[in-house]
Amino acid sequence: MASAANTNLNAVRETMDVLLEISRLLNTGLDMESLSICVRLCEQGINPEALSAVIKELRKASESLKASENCAN
Amino acid sequence: MATLDQKSPNVLLQSLCCRITGKSEAEVAHQFQYAVRVIGSNYAPTIERDEFLVSEKIKKELLKQRRETDAALFSELHRKLQTQGVLKHRWSVLYLLLSLSEDPRKPSSRVGNYGALFAQALPRDAHSTPFYCTRPQSLALGYGERSTGLSASVGTSGISSLGVYTLNGPTPTPQSLLAGQPPQSAGAQPLGSRLAWALPMSSSPSSALAPPSTRPPLGPPALSSRVPRPRRDGDTGEVNEVALVRDILYVFQGIDGKFIKLSAQDNCYKIDSKVVLCKSLRDTSSRLAELGWLHNKVRKYTDARSLDRAFGLVGQSFCASLHQELKEYYRLLSVLHSQLQVEDDQGVNVCTESSLTLRRLLVWMYDPKVRLKTLAALVDYCQGRKGGELASAVHAYGKTGDPQMRALVQHILSLVSHPILNFLYRWIYDGELEDTYHEFFVASDPNVKTDRLWHDKYSLRKSMIPSFITMDQARKVLLIGKSINFLHQVCHDRTPPGKITSASKSADTPKDAAELLSDLEGAFQEKIDAAYFDTSKYLLDVLNRNYLLLEHLQAMRRYLLLGQGDFIRHLMDLLKPELVRPATTLYQHNLTGILETAVRATNAQFDNAEILKRLDVRLLEVSPGDTGWDVFSLDYHVDGPIATVFTRECMGHYLRVFNFLWRAKRMEYTLTDIWKGQMCNAKLLKTMPELSGVLHQCHILASEMVHFIHQMQYYITFEVLECSWDELWNKVQQAQDLDHIIAAHEVFLDTIISRCLLDNNSRSLLNQLRAIFDQIIEFQSAQDSLYRSALEELSLRLQFEEKKRQREEEGQWGVTAEVEAEEKKRIQEFQETIPKMRSQLRILTHFYQSIVQQFLVLLMTSSDESLRFLSFRLDFNEHYRAREPRLRASLGATRGRRPSNI
Repeated sequence: MASAANTNLNAVRETMDVLLEISRLLNTGLDMESLSICVRLCEQGINPEALSAVIKELRKASESLKASENCAN
Repeated sequence: MATLDQKSPNVLLQSLCCRITGKSEAEVAHQFQYAVRVIGSNYAPTIERDEFLVSEKIKKELLKQRRETDAALFSELHRKLQTQGVLKHRWSVLYLLLSLSEDPRKPSSRVGNYGALFAQALPRDAHSTPFYCTRPQSLALGYGERSTGLSASVGTSGISSLGVYTLNGPTPTPQSLLAGQPPQSAGAQPLGSRLAWALPMSSSPSSALAPPSTRPPLGPPALSSRVPRPRRDGDTGEVNEVALVRDILYVFQGIDGKFIKLSAQDNCYKIDSKVVLCKSLRDTSSRLAELGWLHNKVRKYTDARSLDRAFGLVGQSFCASLHQELKEYYRLLSVLHSQLQVEDDQGVNVCTESSLTLRRLLVWMYDPKVRLKTLAALVDYCQGRKGGELASAVHAYGKTGDPQMRALVQHILSLVSHPILNFLYRWIYDGELEDTYHEFFVASDPNVKTDRLWHDKYSLRKSMIPSFITMDQARKVLLIGKSINFLHQVCHDRTPPGKITSASKSADTPKDAAELLSDLEGAFQEKIDAAYFDTSKYLLDVLNRNYLLLEHLQAMRRYLLLGQGDFIRHLMDLLKPELVRPATTLYQHNLTGILETAVRATNAQFDNAEILKRLDVRLLEVSPGDTGWDVFSLDYHVDGPIATVFTRECMGHYLRVFNFLWRAKRMEYTLTDIWKGQMCNAKLLKTMPELSGVLHQCHILASEMVHFIHQMQYYITFEVLECSWDELWNKVQQAQDLDHIIAAHEVFLDTIISRCLLDNNSRSLLNQLRAIFDQIIEFQSAQDSLYRSALEELSLRLQFEEKKRQREEEGQWGVTAEVEAEEKKRIQEFQETIPKMRSQLRILTHFYQSIVQQFLVLLMTSSDESLRFLSFRLDFNEHYRAREPRLRASLGATRGRRPSNI
């Protein structure tokens, strides 16, 4: 039972590694944690189109926030 | 962290927000709400869930960036991923990664480039346009290939028209804007607020200004240098040009500005007369304000029509195309607005080369104005039209020499004609007519039953034939669909339409429609021709193979038109005793029995059983005094698909012709009987020399009649029936569709009817002919009675001689005086009847000849050439001509003319 869980964990880890590699290849700019969140969201059946739109939007927002902070400074 | 535990999406989203922005949960609340909204509103993916497709796209993307090794590496990784099978939605993850991927060679421009904002973020929301629903794939691709310019897959016609637009003239729309799709219903936010959101984010004004200043075809630099500096000296009382520009931008959208307002009485935008303004500015702005008026006009039309459901699909697509054009226009306006905003941010005193002035606007807005003008004119012209009529109207506008305008109208036309072409393909490939709003040029009458389907159910709606489709094509289209429906409903043929015509490809997109429109003579005609040819051929095959159309046609010829001689003769022989009886004593079942006997005894028995079982006897309506000959008729039952060719009217014609032929045939038959009687009795009656004169008279009259009837029969058989039949048969063999056969058959029947003197024009001729026939019958009865009395007399004389001989043998006196006196008296009486007979015969002959003469005179005056020839043949030895002066005149005239004609 424990070993089964272990192999499962290993498989998951391997999958994540592969996905991270692909993500790196495609230059998505996602780190491990974001990627894992995204993967989990996708696994729950969320529309990837919408998700990618959200991520892009968030990035823009954060950069603009930073920019405005810079201006303020 | 790697455990894929099931947390709720919201929690995950929140942590994602925190992670990406690098802020705490409280700070990202706004973004989080936005994220939830977007995700929630897009729960159903618009793309295809195909892992293979996504992976192929990724590879393509990598190859495009010239990273072949990476592509190989990716395939390796992808395979690994597939073997592990931890993930359920691999395509989803891959798709996410693909959409987030960026070309490393491109400078990272995540912020600031608002063109990219439109292009990246918005297409996801833009599925309210119908084209994206049908082709979600192209959307995703378009995003990936944007870096290489306008890709073909994004090239819905909206873009293609735009391409022309940007290439042909200076437009202030940045290229990057064009690539993205406009936000039709941009999530929850309208375009303006998005711009407002995007612009302040840019840290330096130059980045926001970049698109307008870098757009290449902005007009020659010389022009911009000539533009006078706008007056910004703060002249009190006089209106600032910047304010005017702002006003104008509102007016462009049909909104009243501060100074420029819509004047109700003049129906145009006017600058408030109270405003102090120099003349040139006033002129320029009123010229610009025309755009607002034009915009209003187009807008009003689309607003009024797009809600009108009865306007139909063609009208809807016309409105959609107008909307598309307006959208381009709005996009341009939004760019101008944003530039104005930037200028405002910079402050009025900063004056760059690219600042907005009225003159600049005048130049930039020149092209849109021309387009709007065209649209407004189109709207005016299309008022009150719908369906095919509307398409015709748009098509008429495409005939212009201006290439830009033509492109615009062509594009609209391709959208407008798309529903029509869709109807058309549905119709010619499936035979289905889904035309709720009566826009298509084929109309169907639901009240018509299947037996009249071919003739009455479908018709052309002439006004709805678009002008780019010729009448001939429209007829073919009608025929194709009609054939398919006929096959399905009447022939009960269940062949799928795809098997009848091979190229069953429909116009999926307006682009295909545009291609077809550009090649109307070639591909379109070919398509219609192919469908027409295949369908018609298939229909004829089915009719001939399954329903024996040609066999039935031949059967009509053989039975109703007396083509099967042995059968008809035998039938007449069998029927004769029945038919001489009064019509009221005839019974159909007796006659049917006789018919069957006749069929069995003659060559008719070798005919197809299918045909023989349709053959029947019919008794016409009985009027008092009719004999069986008057009411008897053969009949042929037709039903199902065959009845389309042999309609009720056709069968009526057939019965009339049969009646006529049957009568003529009976005359021939009667004359044969007369001749037989003469031959048999001639020898017997030689012993009565006093009869020879009468008999001679009989013989002469009989041979006159025989000559007449033979010539008539020759005429009917060879000049009428055989000629027309040959013509019909040739036409039927060459017929391409059912209509040809029906037409040929109708022509055939018409010729027969008119040549058999059955039409209205030759009623008098027919009456004469009937009278001749009656004379023949009368002559028959007269001769019969003559022979009867003569034979009676003969037998009495023979008895007398016999008795005399008997007595002599017995040794008595052969005759006593009183017996002899009695005998003499009887002979005397008989001989006294002879002059009566002679005179009766003379009257008969006289009547007959005068009728024939009249008949000949009528024939001479007839317009039909074959009838004139008939008269010539009937009077070949000029027997009648010698008696009738009228004949002499006309015959002489014809004969005199003939040599000159040759």
